[in-house]
Amino acid sequence: MTVKLTKKTKDSAFWWWYNGNLTGFTHQHMQTFGFMCAMIPVIKELYKDDEHRLRSLKTYTPFFNTEPQIGSIVVGISVGLEEARANGHEEIDDEMINGIRAGLMGPLAGIGDSLIPGTYIPILLSIALGLSSGGSVLGPIFYAVVYISTMTFFMKYIFDKGYELGGRAVDVIIGDQAVAFRESMVMLGTIVIGSLAASWIGVSTALKFNLGTYFNAAGESVKSVLVLNDVLNGIYPNLLSLLTVLFTWYLMTKRKMSPITVMLILVVIALVGVLVGFFDPGLSY
Amino acid sequence: MTINIFQAVLLGIMASLTSVIGALGTTYSWYTLSRPLVASLVVGIILGDVTTSIMVGAAIQVVYIALVTPGGTVSADLRAVCYIGIPLAVAAVKGAGLDPASVQGAGLAVSIGALVGTVGTVMFYSTATMNLIWQQIGWKAIDKLNYKTIYLTNFVFPLISHFVIAFLPTFFITYYGTNVVANLKEWLPMNGIPMKTMFTLGSLLPAVGIGILLKQVVQNPIDLIIFFFGFTLAAALKINLVGAAFVGAMIAFLNYKIIMIGSAGKKAAASNEEDL
Repeated sequence: MTVKLTKKTKDSAFWWWYNGNLTGFTHQHMQTFGFMCAMIPVIKELYKDDEHRLRSLKTYTPFFNTEPQIGSIVVGISVGLEEARANGHEEIDDEMINGIRAGLMGPLAGIGDSLIPGTYIPILLSIALGLSSGGSVLGPIFYAVVYISTMTFFMKYIFDKGYELGGRAVDVIIGDQAVAFRESMVMLGTIVIGSLAASWIGVSTALKFNLGTYFNAAGESVKSVLVLNDVLNGIYPNLLSLLTVLFTWYLMTKRKMSPITVMLILVVIALVGVLVGFFDPGLSY
Repeated sequence: MTINIFQAVLLGIMASLTSVIGALGTTYSWYTLSRPLVASLVVGIILGDVTTSIMVGAAIQVVYIALVTPGGTVSADLRAVCYIGIPLAVAAVKGAGLDPASVQGAGLAVSIGALVGTVGTVMFYSTATMNLIWQQIGWKAIDKLNYKTIYLTNFVFPLISHFVIAFLPTFFITYYGTNVVANLKEWLPMNGIPMKTMFTLGSLLPAVGIGILLKQVVQNPIDLIIFFFGFTLAAALKINLVGAAFVGAMIAFLNYKIIMIGSAGKKAAASNEEDL
């Protein structure tokens, strides 16, 4: 007799994961309890005796952590494997399930982090920032609606793929087409971030040089002042902002500094810059 | 501007729910309600000034545009930036009489946001540590097949951690802190060194957010050309962000086609060799 999970049980596994993948987080067991909570309805439906239930629940006690949204594929795969195990596939044991879980969580974390918070979210936020100029509510609403709906759809899609295809589902994420798609998304993200940097960063200098006075054609004396900021923007618009970005990129990539260290360096640069008159916001009450 | 007890309670509740390990799930809490731009709408509704709040939130958002939390390390748990930083920044910008859309207004907001962000890091690690207590209860429940307790361990007990570590500080800092920052100009003149540095820092900090993102996507310096292309679209060609997204999408589309043609060619070549 084969047992087949009902759609209701699969859905409830998905939603427990969706709502609780990180809620019980500790550094010892990051998403372990979230994963277990997703598997409980599956285990309860597949096995009627406590012995099997306990064995299967314990399968999911080893450490688990990945990018939780793309990680819903692992939950889907585990649900599929657990169903196969309940149907007497003896090759599926704890070792195999946990081999797949542990083997996938690292690569998926890398792909998921670079694709979702590293690319997709910045693109959406950049567009949303463009829409919220002047304090418009359009930007936040656009982001919330588009992000939640697309991400929920994506998570459910790869969860179902994971359940249907088992271990082979990984091709959906690392196949040729997926790699080409990912590289192109990263390219789009980099372009949008470039535009975002140009529109939202406004580093400028207050430095002026007095070049002395000269007499114009009408014989009046005119002060010649060189405004450094205008000269720089004449070379390339918003040049100082671009240089600041490149500087932070250099410190983090080539010097391996943490963002916090870079921020502290900027504090020093701001202070020194103000003291020597390079920076001056030019405000008073 | 002052914040009443009711408003401070609401801000505290939001801070409790929206951590990366908060109660509302990754998708709609951490990646939505804990983005400063989205949070600024919520804060704006709570404070009764949506427009100012969104302008402040947008400026702060740029700094945290690319926040990734690899392996559970966070440079800033954004709930503090969102639900303590934004209210304080709104109070400070209004108190100083600045236009929130101006470079200076944004600069002040960004500096305050980043300062408060450090509080968030403490909140994150404290919550994760306190959750260890609940997981001890959870482990015991597994052997007894006590499903209910396992669910409580993951969903309900951590709320106690959030209440202690996020709700209380958020409540007190926003309730008492707004008065302090709103009167900033009385104790720090705007043309003095500290305030000038603060404004300048605010204009520099968004570069770090962009830098973090570039670090992930640009390993080879030649790839910076893609970034320069995007920068030029906005800086020199004056294309707005939505327009730039479409130009970028077109380039990405071409890139995708080229890679797929390339891999199809490789496959064809490989199968030809087999035929011979």
